[in-house]
Amino acid sequence: MMRIPLIAAACLLLKTTSAVFADEAYNVDYHYALLGQPQQDTTFFHRPSTNSKASLLYTLSEKGVVGAVNPRDGEIVWRHALAQNVTERSNGFLRAADGQDVVVSGSGSRVAAWTAADGRLAWDMNTDGPVEDVEILELSDKLASAGNKDVLVLSSGDSPAVQRIDGASGTKRWQFKVEGGDLPYQVSASSTEVFVILLHKTMLGYYKIRVVSLDSVDGHKTDEYTLSSDSELATAETILSVGANSASPIIAWTDAAYTTLKVNIIGTKSTSSFNIEKHDDRAVEKISIQAPYHTNSLAHFLVHYETANSHWADVFHINLSKNKIEKAYSLPKVAGKGAFSTSVSDANVYFTRITEDEITTTSSSSHGILGRWKAQGLGIDSGTSEVITPTHAVSELSIKNDAVSAIRTAVSLSTGDWMLLRDGSPVWNRPEALADISSATFATSSAIEELEQELEVEAHSNAVAAYVHRMKRHIEELKYLPRMLMSLPQRFMRGFLGTSSEGGMAKDAFGFHQILACATASGRLIALDAGSPDRVLWNRQATTLQAGKTWRPQLTSQADVLILHQGQGGQQLAFNATNGHLLLAPPPREAATTGPNVQYTMTDDGLEAKRLDVENAGSLWHFTPSSQDRIHSLVPRPVNDPVANIGKVLGDRRVLYKYLNPNVALLATTNDASKTASVYVLDTLSGAILHSTTHTSVDLADPISSIMSENWFAYTLTTSADPRGHLLIVGELFESLIPNDRGSLQSAANFSTLETSPEPFALTATYQIPESVSKLAVTRTKQGITSRHLLAYTPASDGIVSIPYSILDPRRPVNRDPTKDELAEGLVRYAPVIEFDPRWYLNHARSVIGINEVLTSPAFIESTSLVFAYGHDIFGTRVGPSGSFDVLGRDFNKFQMLATVVGLAAATVGVAPLVMRKGVDARWRFT
Amino acid sequence: MLLELVSGIFRSRSQPAFVVLRGARYQHNNKLPDDFKITMLLTLLSSLLLSAVSASAARLTISIPPSPPQLPNPATLTSSTHAVLLGPPGVRYDVPLRRDNIFLFPDIDAASYLLTIHSRDHQFPPLRVDVEKTDSAQTISAWQTFRGNEWSNKGPSYGSAQNEATFEVRPFAQKEFYMERGGFNILSFLKSPMILMSLVSVVMIFGLPKMMENMDPEMKAEMEQMSSKGPISGSEGAASQIQNFDLAGWMAGSGGGGASGGSGSKKR
Repeated sequence: MMRIPLIAAACLLLKTTSAVFADEAYNVDYHYALLGQPQQDTTFFHRPSTNSKASLLYTLSEKGVVGAVNPRDGEIVWRHALAQNVTERSNGFLRAADGQDVVVSGSGSRVAAWTAADGRLAWDMNTDGPVEDVEILELSDKLASAGNKDVLVLSSGDSPAVQRIDGASGTKRWQFKVEGGDLPYQVSASSTEVFVILLHKTMLGYYKIRVVSLDSVDGHKTDEYTLSSDSELATAETILSVGANSASPIIAWTDAAYTTLKVNIIGTKSTSSFNIEKHDDRAVEKISIQAPYHTNSLAHFLVHYETANSHWADVFHINLSKNKIEKAYSLPKVAGKGAFSTSVSDANVYFTRITEDEITTTSSSSHGILGRWKAQGLGIDSGTSEVITPTHAVSELSIKNDAVSAIRTAVSLSTGDWMLLRDGSPVWNRPEALADISSATFATSSAIEELEQELEVEAHSNAVAAYVHRMKRHIEELKYLPRMLMSLPQRFMRGFLGTSSEGGMAKDAFGFHQILACATASGRLIALDAGSPDRVLWNRQATTLQAGKTWRPQLTSQADVLILHQGQGGQQLAFNATNGHLLLAPPPREAATTGPNVQYTMTDDGLEAKRLDVENAGSLWHFTPSSQDRIHSLVPRPVNDPVANIGKVLGDRRVLYKYLNPNVALLATTNDASKTASVYVLDTLSGAILHSTTHTSVDLADPISSIMSENWFAYTLTTSADPRGHLLIVGELFESLIPNDRGSLQSAANFSTLETSPEPFALTATYQIPESVSKLAVTRTKQGITSRHLLAYTPASDGIVSIPYSILDPRRPVNRDPTKDELAEGLVRYAPVIEFDPRWYLNHARSVIGINEVLTSPAFIESTSLVFAYGHDIFGTRVGPSGSFDVLGRDFNKFQMLATVVGLAAATVGVAPLVMRKGVDARWRFT
Repeated sequence: MLLELVSGIFRSRSQPAFVVLRGARYQHNNKLPDDFKITMLLTLLSSLLLSAVSASAARLTISIPPSPPQLPNPATLTSSTHAVLLGPPGVRYDVPLRRDNIFLFPDIDAASYLLTIHSRDHQFPPLRVDVEKTDSAQTISAWQTFRGNEWSNKGPSYGSAQNEATFEVRPFAQKEFYMERGGFNILSFLKSPMILMSLVSVVMIFGLPKMMENMDPEMKAEMEQMSSKGPISGSEGAASQIQNFDLAGWMAGSGGGGASGGSGSKKR
């Protein structure tokens, strides 16, 4: 068959390239498999099947990722990224019922049931409009079955409807169309009936709560009534809670000023009013309700009041026979923020209160405290003096002899961490805030930066001064000697046993321990150590955001200073990268080099460039894409892009000169009407187009990613033209295609593309790749001597592929075998397909989801480049594209080396007398 | 057949326009295949008629049977396993693996699709799936397809069915993520030529004099006579060089041979 030579050729290629070594996997790389910030309503403990003892922790996060976490160690059991919900109120729904082996999620217009134990899809269905609510129907009627409970789905849109879905297959049992133009709000069920809560907008703009009760078997309307007077509800936000599946579901709302709380037992037409007491002069800012979600539990609920600096709660009991609500007791006011969680054991309801330093549990029936644990400042050291507060929590407890014997609490903190406390002591901590990074950068620590500056001084002064400086520095360093001597035995032991040969941040000779500073969308700055990533260096709030706003700053670094650009009109802030302290003044910008200074900006219809060094200069050049084209992306060559060799040495020792222009950028434009994508290589100084291509039948729904580095560029796209699939196009620019010829430039040392415009020759090659690529990056090393790898994020297989450039080389001979010279250069015959070898995946067996940026940074040693990918997950590793030629790898066996030395020494000692005797014998014995 | 060359040599142009590319490109780059045009038309038609005729929706099921030795139990596939049907621009279906080890596409439009199954641990072959609309029903057929080949180059058929089709797809390989390092092995250590040479010389040093001693005295005398006559004789002869072999010196000069893998590297 024809593909056999292809595969054989691919296999040949693979052998020559580096890959992830088994002993480096999970040691050198790191991965935070994140979910995103968990939401209060969609987080719970649940037993994945009826016969399992241990429960898992389920959540549907703000980022629309549903997943299960093992409460023992905080590891992800399974997760799925769902479409993010478009409704304002919630980012989706997640429900589970006791004794069920599925959890049901609702997000966007899709409802899906996932096997609770392993995350396989059980069934899914689509609604006509956005999903507004999902509930599992706990009541038992003639349609219900015990194993697969049915699901109620409320959807809005053009034809809002309630549907009852068969819990086994996901097919529709009945549908009730909501008419009258009311807004669908929630669906609820008691032990006998199904209720639909609708919001009816009055003439004056207020809302009225309309309740429609339905027959659970056939979906026919049985009753309908309206709650709340005309001018009570100004927005839907003051509706606190609509219970579901509890013994007696309630609906509670309040006025905008939080003066009275109104509660209605769904199914009855009367409402109970409670005055909200003021505990001090601060106004109540937030009210929330905690109620159990079990039909057979006690009908008790808790109302949680928050002011700016304190919180308290009231517990209410519902008298089922009289349909009356009574206040049972109050939990006292405590300064600071707190969170409450509800747990059910048998039919009893327990409320757990989590404050900044304590966890207490009370039964819903009386105010006596059943358990109290110290929570040690919630066990977090943010590195700054910030007060860490709990935002919401879920608890699971076991009751023995009317006392809480054990409690597990998963609490979401104001730092963006999600933490599990077992009896008050932290078990694990997931930095979920990292799922929302909007910008990140590498920075060096102050200690390293100082050393580098000292070395710089020595390098740039005369020999005597440099020597004196060096001596001074060494004398200065003597104070570290005792400490070093103390740690020597330990270091020897560790080195000998091969446990770890790397020091911490301070003694970072290889440059692996760089600081990774990340700005999250929630307004925090978080710093990680790229060398030991299990440690968060510091975590601080950089800005306070208004609710509902996200923060999209740009983070850059100058050595050990982080600079935060907050966009148009925003202030520029500077932070110390080592400890996160705010610096008073940002460091001065590095002075621009001499010569023409051109700035180009993206305008509505294209690109426009201006000279900054000439006053009142008009625009220097314009780039306007062809009609109906819009600019998709612009990728300039990186500012810091060292190139070791200005030419490519051919097999016969001649040289092909690279077109190395620092001011080049790759511009991609797309045309939605004609389904074409065009790619231009621009000289950003003169505006000249150095190369351009147009691709037809491009699938613009698939990502187009591009990269520009050195003298080459690469981009990917998906085409439905023959041969359909995903393409990777690589182009390389040369001054001339004739070896040893520099074209029009000749031997000019300097040139300006504003004066002469040397036109480069472009060599391109197209390869077909097995899947689409959403982000391209390239490895970077200190001097640029090491060969480069192209890094590609493949969203379909959740991986980051590292493709050696030698495989992408456009100079691979086409339709013929390579000549001897080409083979000497390492060129192999062109094959149109590049299969991604599993060993190229930097993430190996890990699933890295949602990456939208891949950063690379050179280490101090030439062989190694640091890689950091973020977006949803965090993944980082270090790669040596040419192998680790300047550092001992893990394959270096110290024990073996020592054993060889000892063995040789022993052999030498043993052989010495023999040799001696031989020498004596040779002179004295004659036989 | 294989694709023609996809590389070209381009001289750049300065004016902002679509540069006419010289050199060969994909063979069919400018011309859409006929069947593709038809399927495009069908897609348009079907999307127009979708609301009217939803009853005759094409339902495609891809099942993963147990297929030893690669995948004896498909229940071990991770829940992140998913299948993507890639159709004409903008048409794309992505479904996760279900608990009964199937991928279900409940309603797909008439078009020609590329089916790719993404799994963490296994590699699956790419498939071509065609959904064609006839008067009363939709025909679903599937073939294996080969990357980098023309779309019309179909491999073995997976079957064809009306309206509802189920195809079985088996993985062809397990993914191997890791490269094993060549560990220390005493046999390979002994096999290395340096060690073999030194072992032979050790045997020569100790063994040869013993052999000489055990030899017949007449033979011995004869040999000595021969060696004294020979071109290499006396103290400069090869035999005496071997006998005077300075093993300790030789070992000190040549280091550990193949024993230390990272020799020559220096720790900074």
